[in-house]
Amino acid sequence: MLIAPQRGPLKGHLVRYGLRWIRSQVPFKLGDDSSKFTELNEMYTDMFSQNTSGKTVATQSENYKDMIDELNKETDQLFNFQSHKLHPKELEEIVKKPGRFIIQSLSKNPYYNLALENYVFNNTPSGHDKHNKFGNQRLLFYVNKDCVVIGKNQTVWKEVYLTSLAKRGYELLRRLSGGGTVVHDLGNVNYSFITSRDEFERDFFNKLIVQWLTRVKPEGPLALSQRGDIVLGDKKVSGSAFKIARGKSYHHGTMLINSNLDQFQGLLKPSNIAGITWKCNSVDSVRSNVTNVFLNSTQEFMDICSSGFKQHYGTADRNIPILLCDEEISEIDEIQDEISRLKSDKWKYLAGPKFCLSLANENCSITVEKGIITESSIPSIVGSSFLDFTKDLDSFQFIDRNLIL
Amino acid sequence: MLRSVGVISRRQPLLRLFARSQSSNALTKTALPFTYSSSGPISVKYTAQHEWIAAHSDGIAFVGITKYAADALGDATYIELPETEMEFEKGDSLGSVESVKSASEIYQPASGTVQGANGALEEAPQLINQDPMGAAWIAKVKLNDLKDLESEDLLDLEQYAKSLSHDDH
Repeated sequence: MLIAPQRGPLKGHLVRYGLRWIRSQVPFKLGDDSSKFTELNEMYTDMFSQNTSGKTVATQSENYKDMIDELNKETDQLFNFQSHKLHPKELEEIVKKPGRFIIQSLSKNPYYNLALENYVFNNTPSGHDKHNKFGNQRLLFYVNKDCVVIGKNQTVWKEVYLTSLAKRGYELLRRLSGGGTVVHDLGNVNYSFITSRDEFERDFFNKLIVQWLTRVKPEGPLALSQRGDIVLGDKKVSGSAFKIARGKSYHHGTMLINSNLDQFQGLLKPSNIAGITWKCNSVDSVRSNVTNVFLNSTQEFMDICSSGFKQHYGTADRNIPILLCDEEISEIDEIQDEISRLKSDKWKYLAGPKFCLSLANENCSITVEKGIITESSIPSIVGSSFLDFTKDLDSFQFIDRNLIL
Repeated sequence: MLRSVGVISRRQPLLRLFARSQSSNALTKTALPFTYSSSGPISVKYTAQHEWIAAHSDGIAFVGITKYAADALGDATYIELPETEMEFEKGDSLGSVESVKSASEIYQPASGTVQGANGALEEAPQLINQDPMGAAWIAKVKLNDLKDLESEDLLDLEQYAKSLSHDDH
């Protein structure tokens, strides 16, 4: 990703720059073919160097690395976009400093991506600038491999078929924001818009997205539904959730680009399943028909929105950088801790609202608070966790396990 | 929705806004946070994050979110309540309000131990839209020190109302 696709007058410079880079790369290339030159190299090394050959090669490739770093730095200064992956220290610094930026995560790991998002959100300064305006809007993009993500205040067993998830290799996550359950795969891109609590407005960012995408394809009937979802015709292409904390807010959403929608079948439960009744105050998912939006790739969506965001928030004297992050960022303790929390049974299965389920045929009822069974028609399970009970379902043969898992 | 509140406030003369904010963000006199002791609370304070805290002379305080915050969040769908006997430092997350799809954190305005949470909110989260300054209190807290309410970052009703009108929405 040394050279990111870029529209406008910069293009020519970038291509020239790229050529220069490629040209300078050729003489040093250490591919498979280099072995036949080894002898020759060693000969020259012996002739012209007092060091051993190994060391010289190492130094050369280090020089080469330095050179690339140097070139990258130059490019950044010239065009004001980042081409290298942020080091943990750099991320820490830029997130905590006031200012706007865009991050594209290169990781496909949902735990990492949610933790990164949470880190950027928590550490974004909440204060206003000298014009008494909030100037720290941030935009994040990430793509997750197969997973199902439930809302903070939902009941896992009510929303998803855990057995199908496990069978088909989908991870289950509970996110930190509200809302309903969504399925992610590599054809879906997630965006996350961070701003102040005061500027928080549910439909604000989705309106911008509709505007940007409509500019690309004016004939595409993209619109905002009454619920604030982005729809293509009568089908949903994007789902949103929101969080407000410490004077800041984020709106994050999914955007289906080339998701394998057929594969989504049978992962999420319908709102009613015969034989089981849920009595809970948890937040319900709104079931919707979904479809892919008319773009070719998740990268195209990120590029369109990045340039829209830059136009909307950039000023003449300050361009908005696009930063790349990968998993080495998880060296930051706060991110590492968050990943552990998101992975823990405590967060996934023992958190969430109180619920009560009854199985009609078996005449059985179970009440669960903070993951622990507090009341039940089966006295032996009271006091144990509902998670443990589900792991041991086979020993309760009168219960149809398909109703719960 | 916050924005629409801002629009109204900009159009209204400052004095009228004061009267309006003060009445709507004042504690409900007929609900438990006020009636808990016969003489009423000795101190009612507000945070910049839109929580209120009403403390009584025995060191018991009630915590909730302001009318302003409840209006801004819209219809509540779920209230996450704190666990009883849990000790919270000032600024810790006490719970959250989920409304039409947003989850909004509630912070502890002063350190103390939770003695009870308002169970009525479990069954009827919409109570927070009806009476946020009274019946929809969120936690009953035994404060570590009543003097903590004199902290500079806790506002009285007038200061809180002023902060709302000065906010740049």
